[in-house]
Amino acid sequence: MGNELTRFSTWLSTALKWLAPLIFGVLMVTVWEVLLLVINPENFLLPRPSEIFSELIDDLSKISDDRSKIWAATKTTGFIMITGLFWGIVWGVATALLVTLSRAANETLTPIAVAINAIPIIAVAPLFNNWLGLTSPRSNQMVVMMLVFFPIFITTARGLTQVDSQQIELMNSYAASKWKILRSVRIPNALPFFFTALKLVAPLSIIAAIVVEYFGGSQNSLGALITASASFADYSKAWSVVVAGSIMGMGLYFVALTAEKITLARDRSPRLLLIAWQKITGRTTGA
Amino acid sequence: MEVVSISNLSKIFNTGKDNEVEALREIDLTVTKGEFIALIGPSGCGKSTMLRLIGGLIPITSGELSVNGKTPTKAREERDYGMAFQSAGLLEWRTARKNIELPLELMGWSKAERIKRANEMLELVQLGEFARSRPAELSGGMQQRVAIGRALSFNPALLLMDEPFGALDEMTREHMQDQLLDICHKTESTVIFVTHSIPEAVFLSTRVVVMSPRPGQISSIVETNLRAGDNTADNTKIRNDERFYKKVTEVREALYGK
Repeated sequence: MGNELTRFSTWLSTALKWLAPLIFGVLMVTVWEVLLLVINPENFLLPRPSEIFSELIDDLSKISDDRSKIWAATKTTGFIMITGLFWGIVWGVATALLVTLSRAANETLTPIAVAINAIPIIAVAPLFNNWLGLTSPRSNQMVVMMLVFFPIFITTARGLTQVDSQQIELMNSYAASKWKILRSVRIPNALPFFFTALKLVAPLSIIAAIVVEYFGGSQNSLGALITASASFADYSKAWSVVVAGSIMGMGLYFVALTAEKITLARDRSPRLLLIAWQKITGRTTGA
Repeated sequence: MEVVSISNLSKIFNTGKDNEVEALREIDLTVTKGEFIALIGPSGCGKSTMLRLIGGLIPITSGELSVNGKTPTKAREERDYGMAFQSAGLLEWRTARKNIELPLELMGWSKAERIKRANEMLELVQLGEFARSRPAELSGGMQQRVAIGRALSFNPALLLMDEPFGALDEMTREHMQDQLLDICHKTESTVIFVTHSIPEAVFLSTRVVVMSPRPGQISSIVETNLRAGDNTADNTKIRNDERFYKKVTEVREALYGK
């Protein structure tokens, strides 16, 4: 009896955790819809949610015969976002490791990184376009990468260096090498820091990817589609593209969140990511 | 057999700078195998510094210091000693057993050997059923026991302990003292133990080294050795024994320079 009651209350609290924001979200969309219908049904600057969603569904229904503009644009922008994010993370983590292991590197690279971060990166996107080609994805990838780089670098570096000094002393008492200390103490210590930064830059990377597309890059992208729709006063189209971008951003956030949960759940070993990957892909290569 | 031999040892931090500090002056001390040395003295007198010098974690300024006939650095590299601090210093993301395995991992033990030894250590510190618990799930005393298990895991002949029971309540502290003595007798370890507590120093040690305020010097050495080599002696009896109180008084007088 008591056991079942506990189980029910656990179930209820889990359900509420998901239901509460869901109900609130639906409520907000409904208010938006009803309010516009009542106040100004002919409104054309701000379309109703139903119009936006029907536009989105209508467009996405054309995926099968390859005429969906939003799907094509999502693929282009998604590619730039993912690759930019990937290289930003790679360089950010690599630089963080470098400045942790080498004092000289720290003194040389950190001020430069800080200086680069002070550049309003999106503002120089047009310059990148001139250098790397107006329609090339390179310049857009570069902007996303540079935007991602700094938060990842500075946060990961903090996690790698902000280690309990007693733990370092203890490792020294075992005559542990720099690498062993990195592997056993610094990296596990830095993982929560890294994931905090990742959850921050994941949505940021989609913003950056779309905004730089206002200046150049492929004409077949989310940013270009928004500008084009807006200039033709096709606002429900523009908004449906925004929705597509939001979904992508949320998806990326959840990927980051899941990676964090998997890694931090047990002994903070990045090895777990590999195991998860092998489970997903069904591969069973040796550990 | 001499385990630690110190002669005319001095340590000065930040030599030649504004914040120069003379931590230790002309220390002479010889520790033989199986001894339990308690280091006691006022705060900042260089007790912990002495422990770190013996451990080869910081360099000496002048004088001579050898551990097992080697330089401290060499002894450290050959993992001649185990160390335990006031705070347990466990890695929070590792379970109790994995924390004990840490030094063994660094020494290249196989996984099976590591698990076997870590389980033995957990039994020794009476935490067998907590192998899979994380530090956050353990009390302060339990964490400290894990740290002691970790220090002992690779059978070091020498233990360097820096106020390991300092943060514990009186009851846990006495229990830990009994356990530590028991473990040391079983493993025939030599111990250098820094403490702020006079009764603790007297109860545990064979000799109490009393130090003066900075610059730290050895002001006197009190022979305690309440067990006189009898490892089966009843700890409660010793704590209530008249000789115990006499030695406590003796150390206190030495400490306050009466």
